[in-house]
Amino acid sequence: MGTGVLAVLLTTLVAQAQPTSLLSERLAAVAPGDTIRVVGGIYPGPLRITKPVVLLGEQAPVIDGRGQGTVVIIEAPDVVLQGFVIRNSGRSLDRENAGIAVHADRVTIADNRIENVLFGIYLRQADSCRILRNTIEGDPTLDTPRRGDLIRLWYSNNALIQDNTTRYGRDVVIWFARGIVLRGNTIQFGRYGLHFMYSDSSRIERNRMLHNSVGAYLMYSTRLTFRRNLLAYNRHASAIGVGLKDMDEVTFEENVLVDNQIGIFIDNSPRAIDAQIRYLGNVVAYNDIGVQALQDAPRSIFRDNSLLENYEQVDLVGGGRFSEANGTFWERNYWSDYRGYDADRDGYGDVPYRAVALFDALTDRTPAFRLFAFSPAVQALELAARAFPVIRPEPKLIDVAPRMQPLLPEGIPAVPRRPRPVLALGGLALLLIGGLTIGSARLRRLR
Amino acid sequence: MALLTIEHLTKRFGTTTVLVDFSCTIEPGESVALWGPNGAGKTTLLRCVLGVLPFEGIIQIKGIDVQRQGKQARRLVGFVPQEVAFYPTLTVGETAAFFARLRGLDPEEGRRRLVQVALQDRLDQPVGTLSGGQRQRLALALALLGDPPLLLLDEPTSSLDIRSRAEFMDALQKLLAAGKTLLFSTHRFEEVEHLARRVLLLENGHLEADTTPAALARRLFPETSQYRLRLHLPERQRPEAVKTLQTHGFEVWMNGHGLEVRVSLNEKARPLTLLSRAGFEIIDFELHA
Amino acid sequence: MTTTTVRATVSLLARKELHDALRNRWFVLYTVVFAVLALALSWIGLAGGQLYGLAGFGRTTASLINLIMLIVPLMGLTLGALSLALEREQGTLLYILAQPVVPGEVLLGKLLGLAIALTAALSIGFGLSGLLLAWRGSPIGLGAYLGLFGLTILLALLSLSLGILFSSALPRTATALGSALFAWLLLVFLGDLGLLGSALALRISVEQLFTFSLLNPLQVFKVAAILLLRSDLQVLGPAGQYAMHLYGWRLLPLSTSVLLLWTLIPLILAYLFFRRRGAL
Repeated sequence: MGTGVLAVLLTTLVAQAQPTSLLSERLAAVAPGDTIRVVGGIYPGPLRITKPVVLLGEQAPVIDGRGQGTVVIIEAPDVVLQGFVIRNSGRSLDRENAGIAVHADRVTIADNRIENVLFGIYLRQADSCRILRNTIEGDPTLDTPRRGDLIRLWYSNNALIQDNTTRYGRDVVIWFARGIVLRGNTIQFGRYGLHFMYSDSSRIERNRMLHNSVGAYLMYSTRLTFRRNLLAYNRHASAIGVGLKDMDEVTFEENVLVDNQIGIFIDNSPRAIDAQIRYLGNVVAYNDIGVQALQDAPRSIFRDNSLLENYEQVDLVGGGRFSEANGTFWERNYWSDYRGYDADRDGYGDVPYRAVALFDALTDRTPAFRLFAFSPAVQALELAARAFPVIRPEPKLIDVAPRMQPLLPEGIPAVPRRPRPVLALGGLALLLIGGLTIGSARLRRLR
Repeated sequence: MALLTIEHLTKRFGTTTVLVDFSCTIEPGESVALWGPNGAGKTTLLRCVLGVLPFEGIIQIKGIDVQRQGKQARRLVGFVPQEVAFYPTLTVGETAAFFARLRGLDPEEGRRRLVQVALQDRLDQPVGTLSGGQRQRLALALALLGDPPLLLLDEPTSSLDIRSRAEFMDALQKLLAAGKTLLFSTHRFEEVEHLARRVLLLENGHLEADTTPAALARRLFPETSQYRLRLHLPERQRPEAVKTLQTHGFEVWMNGHGLEVRVSLNEKARPLTLLSRAGFEIIDFELHA
Repeated sequence: MTTTTVRATVSLLARKELHDALRNRWFVLYTVVFAVLALALSWIGLAGGQLYGLAGFGRTTASLINLIMLIVPLMGLTLGALSLALEREQGTLLYILAQPVVPGEVLLGKLLGLAIALTAALSIGFGLSGLLLAWRGSPIGLGAYLGLFGLTILLALLSLSLGILFSSALPRTATALGSALFAWLLLVFLGDLGLLGSALALRISVEQLFTFSLLNPLQVFKVAAILLLRSDLQVLGPAGQYAMHLYGWRLLPLSTSVLLLWTLIPLILAYLFFRRRGAL
């Protein structure tokens, strides 16, 4: 036992005692294609990799940038960097100080822990790279705009970005990149979970974007598959779950959007006259606004979605209505505020769902009236509108045969929910205070 | 020093004036009746003395202004209202303890006063279940908390039956003998006769006369005139009683509550004796001029 | 002779008021209804999010805040309106005032006793739903939860003091209670609807709309509650953004002060009326 501890201690000491330039020297010594194993130790950055080598870290060796510049720079193709702890980059946004900067193709960055960096992994004109299972953490003490992007792709096509976790960054940026696969990542506590522009033919699936200002902003791209992602708790100023701006040919399928300011925000999408967007089987729940469309959402199909308890289910900014003449179809969606029935028991309501909330109609026309949201007066107004159809507004959409039960896709990466002991203590304290007050005053005679 | 001084008391409710420039002083140990028809201002006068209504003029108890130092002044006063109202959620014991504490006294003092009015066996009984007489006795017990020198009573016997009334008057007599000062309103001459040494005659808010019970009697029952004796009997006995009295030469007629008999000055009690000997049950009687 | 301090008198009257309130069937009914509804709404709100381990606060928050805005003013206003008027009618008020107490002590005792009773009632509702939310792992934080409780107590206090104002100013229980119910309607429904209507007709600006809405203490409560639960006012649209931009988190102390003012002013008025009216 004692010797074991001693051994570990010795190893650590030996590793730390190694000359700081050892890693660079070892790199210089190997031939292209060789594998270098690094066992523990702390190595100073920056480390520049200019040969196609495989760097395998064991026992979490550290490369420390000591707050200066970029920590690891990869300039050779086919490099593999795996199992390292990379930390303390510089803080210059102008120089784009990063944990790892990649300027070459077919690089694999896997299983690293990247901490206390400005940018995380930065791919610049680096095609066919793989970023796998890394954990990347920015500097939470910086204001969000002063932070860097924890994953950033810039003119880097055909990347596979899978099972990474990022926290406390600015965005995950994918710009000017074709054929990207973004899968199974968890992106939290940033500004834009995903900032996606000019990147055609990509696939974004099974990611979780939680607690960002915007879950995912998808812009100026075509042929995107966006499916089975979870976007929740994206709040703060003008926060949205997923925004689509000038997007064409999107399959937006089986995503779950919960408790965002706006679930799905649609701005001029599709843009191309022959493009279409399909919203299929999504769950949009507990958002302030479920779906918000600026002006209109032409050539869009909303089918089999479940709109659950959004404060405003669908908002068409400026009022008006979605029209089938423009190619907008609302079909077989579940609406938690549907008050119809299903006499023939086929699972679909026998009377159409009409989005006719009076307050929604008011706020669509005059957004300032949202001030009265949550007021009992508004509830009374809705009741009155239901009872007296005279003041009922034109429906902004009609779903002819809405679902009677929500359709909840399975296999979405869930968020574990734990009991909250502190809150429980608070509740218990209040309960005790109330109970004891009432109990003592009731039991004790007034003497 | 006078116990109670009232100077130029005027009380208005909106445009109606209930008391006009009322002044008087009451010395310690006095027993003063307020006499006058309904609406003469008796109740209002008592409430002003308690300081629970704002008014013009000055009222002092032992030199303490009831408006400006109401709290100290009320400590010197025990009050029995016309219709006694207690908190229905409290028992007799709790009520006594509560009001004792409110006067800054030990709750034990409340219990002692309950003994004084023979309610000590009903400590745990809710006040709502007390009889009229018991309630009045409880009110008296509460009025005696802290042994205040001045007792104000607003028609204290009006809701009592003849027996409870006698008991209550008895209790008041004892208190008077013990040195308390009484100021009470009433519309029963017997009470004035039994209890008061002095009568303040109120009419339309004016102090009509500051006089004695004997003088009041002369005023009410001038010698030349005859009196009307009002007798309360159970309804079924009334026709028989009319016959009985008529056979003895009395002028009798029935009214809503019982019988009225015309009697002369020196045989006021004869109808009573006659009827009770004949086995009639006389519940109550009143004498009117 | 023993002298009673103001504190002793007030505390005795308050204890007596609490004792009575807990035996008042309205109070018991309110307590139970509030607790049951708060629990039910929390349960419903959490049930939907079960599938992905997510709990949302969209309509659930709305219905919780709605419940508080509906029932808490009703509790305070009715209990307050009954407080003096009922005693005046049954004659006990005269009897109390004939004791060595001053009207201010009676008023304060009433307020304190009823406030404690209301706090106890709300604690039970909040405590139960807090336990439920904690057990189910709701995302609501302890700070926001206790903050909402505090705001709710303030709301209860202000409606209580409004109710006491009616009770002291109006001679009969029926009129006091009627006025309290009308005030409730005004605060909860008519005020907002009126402002909404005028805004539609007059096209007033966002700033004016926000300022006018703050005349209604219920709106003040709502804005503060949403700020607490959400950390921003986005859900209230442009007016919310305007308020957030103008005041930021200062909205919380500000609205607390406004609510306290709404408690204090009716109380002062109630005292003046009570002193003038006395036991009648």
